[in-house]
Amino acid sequence: MTTTTAQFRERATIALEDVRLQQALDGATGRFATARQAALAAIPWADELRDHFKAIRAATLANLAEHLQTFERQATAVGTHVHWAQDGAEACAIVTEIAQRHGVTLATKSKSMATEEIHLNAALAKAGVRPVETDLGEWIIQLAEEPPSHIIAPAIHKTKEQVAELFERESGRPQSAADIPALTAEARRMLREQFLAAGMGISGGNLAVAETGSVVLVTNEGNGRMVTTAPRVHVAIIGIEKIAPTWDDAAVWLSLLARSATGQPMSIYTTVITGPKRTAALDGLPDPDGPEEVHVVLLDNGRSPLVGSKYEEVLQCIRCGACLNVCPVYREAGGHAYGSPYSGPIGAVISPLLFGLDKYPALPHASSLCGACQDVCPARIDLPRMLLELRADLVTQGIAHGSEAVLEGSVSLAMRSERVWALLMGMGRVGQRPLLKNGKLALPERFNPGGERPLPALAKKSFHDLWRDGEV
Amino acid sequence: MTANRIALFVTCMVDQIMPEIGVATTRLLRRAGFTVEFPMAQTCCGQPFFNSGFRAQALPLAQRTIEILEPYEAIVIPGGSCTGMIRVEYPHLLQDNPRWYYAARRLAAKTFELSEFLCKLESDDWRQSTANCQETVTYHDSCHMNRILGLHDEPRRLLQAVGYTIAEMEEADRCCGFGGVFSIRLPEVSNAMTAEKLRQGRATSATTLITADPGCLMQMRGMRRNDDTIQIKHLAVALEEAITGKPWSME
Amino acid sequence: MRTRTTILTRLQSNNRALAQPTTWQSRQGFNDLAEQFVTALTAVHGEPHLAPNLEGATAQLGAILAELGAQRVVANNEAPIADLNLPTRWPHLQWHIVGETAGDLREFCTYADVGLSSGIAAIAETGSVVIHSGSAQSRVATLFPPVHIVLLPTSRLTTDLFTFTATHKNTHLANGTLPAAMTFISGPSKTADIEQTMAIGVHGPKRFIVILYRE
Repeated sequence: MTTTTAQFRERATIALEDVRLQQALDGATGRFATARQAALAAIPWADELRDHFKAIRAATLANLAEHLQTFERQATAVGTHVHWAQDGAEACAIVTEIAQRHGVTLATKSKSMATEEIHLNAALAKAGVRPVETDLGEWIIQLAEEPPSHIIAPAIHKTKEQVAELFERESGRPQSAADIPALTAEARRMLREQFLAAGMGISGGNLAVAETGSVVLVTNEGNGRMVTTAPRVHVAIIGIEKIAPTWDDAAVWLSLLARSATGQPMSIYTTVITGPKRTAALDGLPDPDGPEEVHVVLLDNGRSPLVGSKYEEVLQCIRCGACLNVCPVYREAGGHAYGSPYSGPIGAVISPLLFGLDKYPALPHASSLCGACQDVCPARIDLPRMLLELRADLVTQGIAHGSEAVLEGSVSLAMRSERVWALLMGMGRVGQRPLLKNGKLALPERFNPGGERPLPALAKKSFHDLWRDGEV
Repeated sequence: MTANRIALFVTCMVDQIMPEIGVATTRLLRRAGFTVEFPMAQTCCGQPFFNSGFRAQALPLAQRTIEILEPYEAIVIPGGSCTGMIRVEYPHLLQDNPRWYYAARRLAAKTFELSEFLCKLESDDWRQSTANCQETVTYHDSCHMNRILGLHDEPRRLLQAVGYTIAEMEEADRCCGFGGVFSIRLPEVSNAMTAEKLRQGRATSATTLITADPGCLMQMRGMRRNDDTIQIKHLAVALEEAITGKPWSME
Repeated sequence: MRTRTTILTRLQSNNRALAQPTTWQSRQGFNDLAEQFVTALTAVHGEPHLAPNLEGATAQLGAILAELGAQRVVANNEAPIADLNLPTRWPHLQWHIVGETAGDLREFCTYADVGLSSGIAAIAETGSVVIHSGSAQSRVATLFPPVHIVLLPTSRLTTDLFTFTATHKNTHLANGTLPAAMTFISGPSKTADIEQTMAIGVHGPKRFIVILYRE
């Protein structure tokens, strides 16, 4: 995937012209944002808690190697197999190898951005394993063969009619779009069969707790519990930055995660996985159920080079999606415009950082720098600052267009002399005359850089001239 | 706030496109008893270049702006975004050079956005008026003014002080879609954002949408329909109209 | 191993001395934890009940089972459930007591009407019940059936996540005592993935009933 300015504009235009999508985006982001605000307002110390959380995340990243090793040690002690993956290819190879070793042909998955990031489903399919997404939204877009368009509400762009059609095709039974509970019940029926049949459960991890070697999964539907309970093998793929050193840290993390994401005080299910089912639990007797094997894949994929860099702060992200819901660009353009599993302000920053600035040159500019994202971020990540840094990198790495550099360079040069600048503007005043209409420039839309928005005309007299002529 | 030599930094947009904002700002400051000076060498603070990633091109503009404004005791700017650039970004941009860094810090400490400056004045004689303003307006929070400078109440306080009634929009602090070069880089998205802002403005009982930032003003005027019932004005112009009791005139 | 070394070396070279902040202390204060729990759980579509004692709670449980028309019930064999002699008390129901009843637990749970458990703690602020897996605590028993009923003494209530971690740091949350699965349950399974319309009961239980009793 790449996202150039032309591609962003093209995809955004499709979204802007889709009336239903616009309604869905407005509705969903608005509801999430309002709920978040109310949930944080309900705890008067929310701002201090966020500061505290930021301090936790910063300190954790400063000592990340140590915490990862603690996690590895504790997880291994309870029987979890810990793997390290440098990139997506390594991570996919690890997972497919485990699947093949166990003769797995069907794997159920709970929603995971990390697996979206490494395109695990395609790798599994190639290895003869059928991956079935079980988060309802994620399953809908899997059936539609589309990428997610929101970090926590992947099918935000789908209407109930489209969902009914997809379910009809999948189940072979007629479905009523008017009845969302019935559609949900149908999904429960169809996916329950998959849960019971799957040989492997694949999940992400909202966080990992180093001191006990635990992986924490947060879901509302219960699919996170299903994939970590029903199949014989559970594999969790988790970014190396998502470590909480202690349970004290995890408590702060969990206090902010659901509140920021959906405005819930706590998601319905917070599942803590600490190793496979015990052959001898505390009382010496074996657990009656649970997976026999648990694997955790610690995924780097471009993260470790960010530690210690000017972009380190972005690793404090916990993927709550709050920044998407308040982003005026996301709310118009939708998630697909970004061309990355990560959309919105956080996506505009981490997609170029993880997958290459040359591949996503449009994303640092897909923001008006309004700062709404930073306002709501539970870790208060300064996303506008990162966008500015990325824009500067585009220039210094020579990714920005040469023509842009020439234009910026010459305008800057002209502005370094008030006389040259005034002369140029004076020429503009003469040149614009044939185009003037109601104080705006009447350029044909096709040639107008503002699109349907006419550019403003230069005033008859500049303020400089008014002042000089004693007219102020 | 007492200052003998105050300088007006009008911003490049006001200078070339909307000079009436500079005129209104000057009139307000004179009403408050200041002798306003206009350093003729000023052009642009450099923000468009900085925000586009062209820091090497922004740097000389920042340095010359510092040199031009250095002699004054206070600098007033009728725009939050350019004020934010000088106050917050200049020290960042110049942090590697101690001499320039401290010069930037000194300038930052005496540079004010218009409403911020007016709210700091001890006397409010400047806004005494016999006119009876009855208008209901709505106020758009410019992003940088609101989030970088934290100026949210100041413009509203001034508007109410001169007699306006404020009818708030659903999301007064939602971006108007300008974002500098963003507005021509991604015009479709930018325009959709502006359309949403104007929709929210029209949905209030206000007859005028007021902003304190020239960039937002230009953007919203660009998307305003000719038959629109809602007017879009800069804070300085709106304050002048209420104080004089007359529609804005350059005369 | 090469990957591990590469990642760790890169991270270590950027290691900085930055201390983890001191533990956040709970600032939440509720007059009555049980009342707060009831309010919070009700808000998330859970069904809390408050009984004066275990006897009352058991009666309440009987009434709920009858009202549900439950026939097959799976129960985690833990206190206080283990002491209630459920199969003798309600012999007309088909019981699977985890670790005691012979037969396929998973198969039973697949068709069970109700899963019954206790919990190690309950969090008043959020209306959450914390359950552990163990030899007598099945994970699917509280997951597969359409109804999950929890029987819990009010003494296990704690204010919020912070008091929970502080209280259980050396017990339930310590190394070696944490079971394979610990789950915080805060209501019935739900989704809003289709047009942001809330629907209850996607994959987990559709009803989450908590009977709290005072001791």
